[in-house]
Amino acid sequence: MSRTSILQPLRQTLTRPVARQPRSAFIASISRSNASIAKPNQMPTASTPANEELTVPFPMRHEIHPEEQAVRLPRSVQALYLQPLRREANYGVPTCDLQLRSYSVPNLEFFCDFALRAAYYLNLPAFGPVPLPKIKERWTVPKSHFIFKKSQENFERITRRRLIQIRDGHPESVQIWLAFLQKHAYYGIGMKANVWEYSKLGVGKEMEGQGQSMQDVVEEKMKLLGRDKTEGTVQKVQELLESERFRVQGG
Amino acid sequence: MSMFRAKKMDIGSFLNIHVIRDHTKRKVYAQFEPERQALRHIIRNTTLPARTRAEAQLQLTQMHCYTRPTQIRGRCLMGGKGRGVFRDFKLSRYNFRMQALEGNLPGVRKASW
Repeated sequence: MSRTSILQPLRQTLTRPVARQPRSAFIASISRSNASIAKPNQMPTASTPANEELTVPFPMRHEIHPEEQAVRLPRSVQALYLQPLRREANYGVPTCDLQLRSYSVPNLEFFCDFALRAAYYLNLPAFGPVPLPKIKERWTVPKSHFIFKKSQENFERITRRRLIQIRDGHPESVQIWLAFLQKHAYYGIGMKANVWEYSKLGVGKEMEGQGQSMQDVVEEKMKLLGRDKTEGTVQKVQELLESERFRVQGG
Repeated sequence: MSMFRAKKMDIGSFLNIHVIRDHTKRKVYAQFEPERQALRHIIRNTTLPARTRAEAQLQLTQMHCYTRPTQIRGRCLMGGKGRGVFRDFKLSRYNFRMQALEGNLPGVRKASW
């Protein structure tokens, strides 16, 4: 694989307008990128020849052998330049809602794209990204001392949110997907996931069977009334009631 | 109160006496919280004798004012100011503006609409 053939699609994306392609254009764009790799000199570019001279660095401008031209990029690499692929959902039962939040749109868009691709390769039908309502927080502060209260300044922080829904996902692969996204977490992006699991009929009986083993876990949890730790108030009450001062008073 | 104050400085923010005082109050409050809650429990527990409950009331009122949660106040991390402090950033309005204009607060920018 020569460097030129790797750079070809990249150059194409740089010259191409940023606007998203509709999904129906998917096949057409594949064939077009193939054609551009095969005949790089005839590639239609929006830039003028002078501009093109500038965009191609010096070492890239060597002679391209016909053999090199025949080699195409692997499909998986080519797919990076196209819209993310998606799996079809058979039943449409939602299993996971992933909400992504960020202050910056490009990062968010990038990571949504990443998440969709990861879902595709994990065989998960992903839907989205659905843009959720923005969270706008605004603060108004006086520009200087209070006597000049009339001149103030406004600041805002807009949190943008995207929702990616997984339908018909196997709970295990959903977990793998979430773990993978967490492992490759991108800077400035928060993630929040709601996961639903479905089980067979007769959940009550199954839970009854597990009851004995769960008893210890529940008791351990209830000992602290659902919290992680206690402040020791109960012991303190006992201590106080047994103290000299209280006994004299109460007796 | 200096009896509660740490012998060695244990905060790294902007320092003045108000900040140190507030920091001390937070620590004392956390330390005495079980006792305070225990006394409150005794006071409200109607199964206990009235004298015990009265005694608990007395003890609660006699506790040091530093053990009260109401003594704690949000203070500016960079200027120690006690008023006009945004909870979201723990900064006073002036310091908030300075930091926002410098771009040190993620996502905060000048608004115009």
